[in-house]
Amino acid sequence: MEKLLLRNVDKENSHTIEVYLRSGGYQALRKALKEMSPEDVIEEVKESGLRGRGGAGFPTGLKWEFAAADVKEPKFFVCNADEGEPCTFKDRVIIEKDPHALIEGMLIGAYATGCRYGYIYLRGEYPIGKRILERAIAEAYEKGFLGENILGTDFSFDLYVHSGAGAYICGEETALIDSLEGRRGEPRIKPPFPVNAGYLWQPTVVNNVETLANIPLIVERGGKWYSGIGSPDCPGPKLYAVSGKVKKPGVYELPMGTPLSEIIYEHAGGIVGDRKLKAVFPGGASSSVLTPEEIDVPMDFPSLAKAGTMLGSGAVMVLDETDCIVKTALRLIEFFRHESCGKCVPCREGTDWLVRIVRRIEEGQGTESDLDVILSVSETMENSFCGLGMAAHNPVASTVKKFREEFLRHIKLGRCPFRSG
Amino acid sequence: MTLEEFREEVRKLKRSNRYPADRSYILPALWIAEKSFPAITHDIMKVIAEELGVRPVEVEEVAEFYAMFHTKPKGKYIIRVCTNLSCMLNKGEELLARFSDLLGISPGETTDDGLFTLEVSECMGLCDGAPAVTVNEERFLKVTPEQVPEILKKFGWKG
Ligand SMILES: Cc1cc2nc3c(=O)[nH]c(=O)nc-3n(C[C@H](O)[C@H](O)[C@H](O)COP(=O)(O)O)c2cc1C
Ligand code: SF4
Ligand code: FES
Repeated sequence: MEKLLLRNVDKENSHTIEVYLRSGGYQALRKALKEMSPEDVIEEVKESGLRGRGGAGFPTGLKWEFAAADVKEPKFFVCNADEGEPCTFKDRVIIEKDPHALIEGMLIGAYATGCRYGYIYLRGEYPIGKRILERAIAEAYEKGFLGENILGTDFSFDLYVHSGAGAYICGEETALIDSLEGRRGEPRIKPPFPVNAGYLWQPTVVNNVETLANIPLIVERGGKWYSGIGSPDCPGPKLYAVSGKVKKPGVYELPMGTPLSEIIYEHAGGIVGDRKLKAVFPGGASSSVLTPEEIDVPMDFPSLAKAGTMLGSGAVMVLDETDCIVKTALRLIEFFRHESCGKCVPCREGTDWLVRIVRRIEEGQGTESDLDVILSVSETMENSFCGLGMAAHNPVASTVKKFREEFLRHIKLGRCPFRSG
Repeated sequence: MTLEEFREEVRKLKRSNRYPADRSYILPALWIAEKSFPAITHDIMKVIAEELGVRPVEVEEVAEFYAMFHTKPKGKYIIRVCTNLSCMLNKGEELLARFSDLLGISPGETTDDGLFTLEVSECMGLCDGAPAVTVNEERFLKVTPEQVPEILKKFGWKG
């Protein structure tokens, strides 16, 4: 497939505005501002069928329509560059190698929705990305793509980078807004949604980095063209970040709906040491595990939901036959316990209980009834306040269900069978 | 940096006019403090609070919430060893143990000479280079336990 999202990343100095302009950069912005009304842009994005790449898969055109319809001023446009989901590193590639595609996507989105100010909420763990983005923003100001009366029109937009400081929950859009307001990141109740009451309770559009990188393509070549790529009900190119026990970990751009097996064996080179595949988390640490029998599934939002898991951030985490599933579940739930903001009981207590129980099993002190307790705690966590708690139990509950034998072996042996001695 | 110089930095930040609400400068101000001082102390928080017109406790709350802000003294170099899934599968925990052994400190601690703080990190988005380590802003990818002394020496470890 022709590279779309990654069309620039292999060019030398791809992060500079000169290289971006030479590759036709900012032509989509020009087209949007000079030839299209904001409504036209929204129509085009709606026709494209683009769904948000941050995890929830919400239709981008629809989100923009809601924001455009709100008349409160000023409005804000925020790029979610928090990329906190474990083993996700796709946005990093765009941030570091093609920052202008992100800026151009934001500009077009701000024009379409009537936003005057923008922030890129960047995770604190990306200091290199911060320097690159700040330089790119300065370049865009210099060339007149940012600031007042952009390209001689009456559209004005100012853009800044806002650095997070190490909190996964701030990737959740309402916690992100709290953090932008200088608070601890704690999710807010929805509705009202950020498009109506976000930053400072003003209308605020929040979109993921990868989502925005699609926008210049859609404006340039049309929503109809875009909707023909990949899965018909969930189209577009998709970035899959593959890591763990594959020969060639990395970010792969493929049509939405590419089978998971193809991603692992053809693109990522298969399993390290030609060992057997054991398990895959197809959509980051929050997704439910898949067994080797289940990997023919198309990697898109609806197909993975049907398979009982989710596309999430598109981070494919691969385990081989020598890896312990109990230890894996333990490490992931430890992550969620650490990152739980503590606001609601099911998540705060649930993650803590799951860590304790899974650790006990991993250390060989578990009992068979622990497995039932895990599943019942997991059910309770479905009632958490935000997506963190609602998903945090997935890696544990799904491994207990699909690898029950391995949990039982730990319990019967009284130790981890994968550890020598 | 002195406290008064820091106050001037916060004022400069405010003059950039990036945010329509002063509260929003809290995180950027804390980032300046994090980079300029060994620890974000109460005195520093007070300066931020005074300049931004919020209560000191509102600054403290934020400083304590975010993992990358240090309210206790840290070393000149922060070594972050990732042990999240992809790094764990690629032996990140062995690396952590190696750093810990060589420096004679546990994760979370700082060496007596104030040179290094060792931290266990959640995923840093460098999983294609697992196991990953960062020292301040520098990245080290696909690190083996044998490379650990080399990395430390680069930052002045005498061991
Ligand atoms: C716990 C949690 C963490 C999240 N982390 C991120 C993240 O790091 N990056 C991101 O883009 N979206 C993240 N999201 C999703 C956002 O809340 C939001 O849906 C998204 O940024 C919207 O952009 P999109 O429509 O372009 O996907 C997270 C959601 C939850 C519940
Ligand atoms: S689910 Fe977890 S992260 Fe979300 S509000 Fe509740 S405690 Fe906080
Ligand atoms: S798991 Fe270690 S950098 Fe992502």
